Amino acid sequence: MSAKEEILKRLRQNTRETYDMPDLDSLKPITYVDPVAEFIQKTTTTAGAKLIEKKTDESLNDVVQTVAKGLPPSGKDGKCIIASNLSGIEAQLNPDTVSEARELMAADLGVIEGRIGVAENACIWIPQQMKEKSICFAAQQLVIVLRRDAIVNNMHEAYARIAASGDYFQQYKFGTFISGPSKTADIEGALVYGAQAARGVTVVLV
Amino acid sequence: MKIGLFVPCYVDALYPEVGVSTLRLLRSLGLDVDYPERQTCCGQPMGNAGFEKLAVPLAKKFDELFSGYDYVVAPSASCAAYVRCFHPNLLGNPGAHGARQAHDSHCPTSEKTMDLVEFLHDVIKVKSLPARFPHKVSVHNSCHGVRELGLSSPSERNIPKFNKIIDLLKLVDGIEIVEPERPDECCGFGGMFAVEEQAVSARMGLEKVRRHIATGAEYITGPDSSCLMHMQGVAQKQGLDIQFIHVAQILSAGL
Amino acid sequence: MAAEAYLQNDAVVTRHDQTFFGVRQKRDRMAQALPEWEDLREAASQIKKHTETHLADYLEKFEQNATKNGVHVHWANDAEEYNRIVFDILSSHQVKKVVKSKSMLTEECHLNTHLEAKGIEVVETDLGERILQMMKLAPSHIVMPALHVHREDIGDCFRKQISNFNEIAASYPTPHDDPNDPTFLTYVARMHLRQQFAEADAGMTGANFGIAETGDVVVCTNEGNADMSTSIPKLHIVSMGIEKLIPNYKAMGVFQRFVARSGTGQETTVYTSHFRGPRPGGEMHIVLVDNGRSEIIGNAEHWQTLKCMRCGACMNTCPVYRRSAGYSYTYFIPGPIGVNLGMLRDPHKYYDNVSGCSLCCSCDNVCPVKVDLSTQVYRWRQELDSLGHADPMKKMMSNGMSFLFNHPALYTSALRLSPMVNWVPSPLINLKLNPWAYGHEMMKFPKKSFHQLWKEKKL
Repeated sequence: MSAKEEILKRLRQNTRETYDMPDLDSLKPITYVDPVAEFIQKTTTTAGAKLIEKKTDESLNDVVQTVAKGLPPSGKDGKCIIASNLSGIEAQLNPDTVSEARELMAADLGVIEGRIGVAENACIWIPQQMKEKSICFAAQQLVIVLRRDAIVNNMHEAYARIAASGDYFQQYKFGTFISGPSKTADIEGALVYGAQAARGVTVVLV
Repeated sequence: MKIGLFVPCYVDALYPEVGVSTLRLLRSLGLDVDYPERQTCCGQPMGNAGFEKLAVPLAKKFDELFSGYDYVVAPSASCAAYVRCFHPNLLGNPGAHGARQAHDSHCPTSEKTMDLVEFLHDVIKVKSLPARFPHKVSVHNSCHGVRELGLSSPSERNIPKFNKIIDLLKLVDGIEIVEPERPDECCGFGGMFAVEEQAVSARMGLEKVRRHIATGAEYITGPDSSCLMHMQGVAQKQGLDIQFIHVAQILSAGL
Repeated sequence: MAAEAYLQNDAVVTRHDQTFFGVRQKRDRMAQALPEWEDLREAASQIKKHTETHLADYLEKFEQNATKNGVHVHWANDAEEYNRIVFDILSSHQVKKVVKSKSMLTEECHLNTHLEAKGIEVVETDLGERILQMMKLAPSHIVMPALHVHREDIGDCFRKQISNFNEIAASYPTPHDDPNDPTFLTYVARMHLRQQFAEADAGMTGANFGIAETGDVVVCTNEGNADMSTSIPKLHIVSMGIEKLIPNYKAMGVFQRFVARSGTGQETTVYTSHFRGPRPGGEMHIVLVDNGRSEIIGNAEHWQTLKCMRCGACMNTCPVYRRSAGYSYTYFIPGPIGVNLGMLRDPHKYYDNVSGCSLCCSCDNVCPVKVDLSTQVYRWRQELDSLGHADPMKKMMSNGMSFLFNHPALYTSALRLSPMVNWVPSPLINLKLNPWAYGHEMMKFPKKSFHQLWKEKKL
């Protein structure tokens, strides 16, 4: 018998009483009068990110370049190395065309797209839409583009959308929720932003 | 209504005044109170130490001794909790799981066993007392009272806040009531825990006493003499100046 | 429990206690902020009870879906088999260095030791775990494992072991007075670990959850290290205890909301990553590990420990853990869940932790999945005697009390004599034979017990 068969057999033999799945539709998870306002508030406070509301007459690229200019200058020639595969964004690296994922570690700023925003915790659902997802983690800073009308109240609503959508996990089998820059408090409980992944995040609401 | 008074073993031996206060208080409310003399102990010390089997004969005796009463009242939250939560298991199905659920028990006595505070608050629904105690008291919310009997809302939970001990104390004239920081953190008695893990127990007790003292209270009071005994022993060893009194004594002050 | 030594250092104990109580308070704020909190706990408990009692079916479904997505699924009966499978995968891919994110399962199975003995370099990438790995220390908590380590010792360790420490320090832009400022040290670790990510041949993660309906593995971190470990090296190995499954995305909504709120007092971990299949040009393996879990499901009193999501809330609230810290426990997981899991792992080895509990029941009230932790400790205590591990002093006291209480006439006689104890000179009372005297002054026995007062018709 294979290990699989042994394990399944033991489980079936040893399980005594069984229990039913509860009715999760009866849960009343938190909702907000203004989910967008809540999202903005949580993003800029507890998540520790910046947030820009793009004006209709601005181009996304202009917003991105402005963010890039505001970042500490990169070692080489003082220019910020931008990585993105979003159309219209001037970038020096493209996560679709790099030969190795580690090349994206040179990115000062990664520009990626989020598809759902969650008000209760400032999470943004970022399905993998590029060959190398390392852009989402290895870039020193991130700009995450998110539509205002894609903001939901809570994780239940977010997961319902993901489960119902046929869009995600098709080409690339990965997706992640990101809420602000990476952080740790492992040294004496002192909160530090910029652990192993992005040191700073700017959410651009469009 | 016939009340059977249960005075737990250590209250009997060390704090009889708590039993006396309880008796006086219940009688003053016009209740018919009896004290079956052959009572000794609810079995909790043995149970918590891991010798539940030794508690079985005690649970049986308790069940028989108190079977004729409408309510069994004890001035001790942890003892009432042990009877209510653990006796059904001891008498029905020794060794079965779920000590805290009342099974198809042969134990109707345990269901009507109550701590003094919850009895006065929920059954008698006392709305006034002649007691006067013009002192500042810090309330000790004993763990088993909070989390097994529901004498107050556990600080861990998101449920409406309530405190039956404080509700009753508020009826006392002249009293000032406060709670310490970490209002329902354990004092560290835990029965045999105090002798098996003396160092941790003493540390927990000392910190709890200090938090009570920090409120500026003159007395520490609570529904459980075991906690008070532990904290008093710790306080005295450290030379800390604060007094200890059971809620029964405050509620019956002047009687 | 070996807490006595730890308790000698007053300041250390105070700091440890306050740090972890602080996390408990953050959790409280999270709980108060969600009106549906208690309903969520009940839902989480029921979802887990359902899943664990239908686990074989869900595991088959999970494997089916994962395989469809191009994932290699392996099964391991026990720790040895698991270690062997992981080594085989790594060696067949000529892996020399593996970066890994936190996994209690890998610690349970002693994977790192196994791999290192076979010449594979294992780099922990969670900052706390990396510090412990470099300092050769054991973890003291399952979520915040290095909170007890002082910054000076961390700085010292980094200076000694990170060869390009000075170069990294020179690149740090912010001036700082404290040479061991946590922000600076975190930066050093970041630069050091980025090099590891770049050089590694494989990445290993644990799994916070496995979703049967889709074959997803979900990994939650604040540092992003699980994602760095799996987006640069092309080989990803997931280690997952079989009890980590949940049925579907609907259930995932409940659990995602709990992980950080319960464990660290945040609304969410920074990263909640769903791994459904391998990367382009990469490979993904999942090793499903039993190691006793299929026996635990049959244990009437203790099977509900399988619901545990390793969030750490129980240890943060435990007044005993906070004042003893992880090293006072002999099992690698401390606190209420550790006491119970240790006994399930090996009751003859870990029984000495069972005394480390005052039965205050606080843990029951914070556990997001309502594991009846204190009741389980109580039940383990009942088994110690038959296991041959009952404390002799407790046994003697219990037998003594039992004898007395079963003979009311003897009991009341003893009460009459007890005031004599008041006259025993204090030095005699405070002997080592009387553990109560360790921290307490002796009680004074009153002249008459309640029994006597009643008998004498004084009432």
